[in-house]
Amino acid sequence: MMLQRIVTDILLMSGIGVVLAFIMVIAQRWLSNYGEVNLNINSKRDMKVTGGNSLLATLSDSQIFIPSACGGRGSCGACKCKVIDGGGPLLPTERPLLTKAEQADSIRLACQVKVKSDINIQIPEDIFNIRRFNTVIEEIVDYTYDIKGIVFKLQNGETIDFKAGQYVQLETVPYAKVKQKVVRAYSISSKPELNDRIQLIIRLVPEGICTTWVHKFLKVGDKVSFTGPYGDFYLRDTDADILFVAGGSGKAPIKSMLEHLQEVGTKRKMTYFFGARTTKDLYLTDEFRVFEKHFDDFSYVPVLSHASPEENWDGKTGFVMPYFKDAIRDPKNTEAYLCGSPGMISAVTKSLIEYGLSEEKIYYDSFG
Amino acid sequence: MQPGVITLGGFLGTDKRDFTQIIADDEKTLEKCGKTAEEIAERLEYFQQQSFDAFESNTIVDNKYKVETEVVRGYLPCPFNHQGIYRKSYTTVTNLQSGKSFTFSALNIHLIRAHHFFEGKKSHFRLEPDEVIKELF
Amino acid sequence: MDISAFVLFWAAIFTSNILLTNFLGMCSYLSVSRELESALGLGTAVIFVLTVTAALNWVVYHYLLVPFGIVYLQFIVFIIVIAAFVQFLELLIERYAPALYYTLGIFLPLITVNCAIFGVSLFMIIRDYNFLQSVAFGAGSGIGWLLAILMLAGIRRKLKEKLVPIGLRGAGISLIITGIMALGFVGFSGIVQIQ
Repeated sequence: MMLQRIVTDILLMSGIGVVLAFIMVIAQRWLSNYGEVNLNINSKRDMKVTGGNSLLATLSDSQIFIPSACGGRGSCGACKCKVIDGGGPLLPTERPLLTKAEQADSIRLACQVKVKSDINIQIPEDIFNIRRFNTVIEEIVDYTYDIKGIVFKLQNGETIDFKAGQYVQLETVPYAKVKQKVVRAYSISSKPELNDRIQLIIRLVPEGICTTWVHKFLKVGDKVSFTGPYGDFYLRDTDADILFVAGGSGKAPIKSMLEHLQEVGTKRKMTYFFGARTTKDLYLTDEFRVFEKHFDDFSYVPVLSHASPEENWDGKTGFVMPYFKDAIRDPKNTEAYLCGSPGMISAVTKSLIEYGLSEEKIYYDSFG
Repeated sequence: MQPGVITLGGFLGTDKRDFTQIIADDEKTLEKCGKTAEEIAERLEYFQQQSFDAFESNTIVDNKYKVETEVVRGYLPCPFNHQGIYRKSYTTVTNLQSGKSFTFSALNIHLIRAHHFFEGKKSHFRLEPDEVIKELF
Repeated sequence: MDISAFVLFWAAIFTSNILLTNFLGMCSYLSVSRELESALGLGTAVIFVLTVTAALNWVVYHYLLVPFGIVYLQFIVFIIVIAAFVQFLELLIERYAPALYYTLGIFLPLITVNCAIFGVSLFMIIRDYNFLQSVAFGAGSGIGWLLAILMLAGIRRKLKEKLVPIGLRGAGISLIITGIMALGFVGFSGIVQIQ
């Protein structure tokens, strides 16, 4: 009798549990299964994708990479894209990162939008070019006490197609105290013609997770992945004169542009102002002097802001801005390419506009 | 808060105290010195702005302080899970009379203003509230 | 119990506030009362879950547990029902009201372990309420809980600018405030007695 009681009670309990679990499984099947939905990009490409994930994840599963700095946490706002329809209502997590104009233009954060039904989105064509590459480190050179140049060789015979001046996002692996992967952007410093490897120029940043990893832990032969290329900072194909202004690791995209121009040949008048603090911060000087010989009209002008008397610096000093005057032949026919901190960019832009350059012809890659 | 999540060394340094305790202890110090965290954040932001206005290069503020800022690529989020991100800028203020200098980032200003958090002892960007009050006001 | 559902509803809000007279649902009450918005979000979710689980558990108790004589298992069964319902609700909201999901969603898992929900289910059995009374009691308790957490959140917002002795910061001062609020609610208790 007692045993029978125990057995029936246990059976009843399990029965209730099983019934509830069954309801949950059915609910999950029915509610969380969005089936195959149609993802249409730029009214051109149609893709069948499995619903239920974020737009960012769905796209990256399909090898389309939208830039994202925070890894889908909805805090950086880098993964903005236009969702024409099928994105559902604007979420409270997106609102703080979108301007009124963007909200009106149906711009959304790809990491927050869930793909639940057929969806139409619009993204820049360049993004199709962005892929994830597996590489092996081929070479690490010390340029200065805090700047290294690193060459990444692509694996499996892959090649990368990019414009001189664009950047890639390097993915770190967990190391030492760092338990998670981080992603950081660096400009490519090698020429696009060399498409089976890229070089990055990386400066050690105090407390930087990625730069410390690159400077202290990476060795030749290590496997590293990056995605790219990203960015609309690239050399425009015109005949205008060029002013390059970049300091520190900002030299990377300029190096890529000049090497590219060396490859294709150019008659353009070019001047590169390299702003640095002391002689210790100068690097690749000989290489850029070689460019001066190679091009018809190129000059490399390092300007030091903090040169001490002991350094015997006989070049230009102070800010770079006062020296633009001699380099600008015809302000209406001059393009400027700037790479550096937001402060430096705004100072230089202001000065260039005063010299008569038009704002549309000032291209920049701001660290900010 | 922990090392390697947002910054390499984290925000606590070698401090064994809980971060709420760090905040409470620093608030005590502030009370003693008669300044609020908001006033300190205001002051630091003033220096940072002066430096941005001078395009980040060396500048002398109030004839007494040398201010310099360095900006690198990227942004940092707040470890308290706030919305918003802060530029990776490092401003160094030197009191020319005493020679003492302090370095803080844009995130520090937010941490002090919104969370009264000056970071743990030996953390890279730890600011001692009493020293800041003594030297920068 | 011979008491109208309508009276029970108001009694559950004021004279027998689940939080301030029984001190149930304290954990989420203390931890989510830092900001008014999230307190409101959690409170709304609690009202909804309380009402529905009171109804569900009443049905389960009277048509399943009593006939089969396994009333002694009510604790486990009630908890399972609450957990399953919250899960189900989460899926449902995510599918049909994504915006609501993001405001409410993070609070739903918290509700599974909210003792007020479980407490209401047990009270309705102990006090032998009928179905209508149970639902009214559930809804009333939920509104009472929302009222209590909103009051604390409001007070804590003012408290942020005030100096509080270090030993009392956080949970300490919140519990003292809750105690004083509970004393205040004793004033209502003369109006109607339901326990």
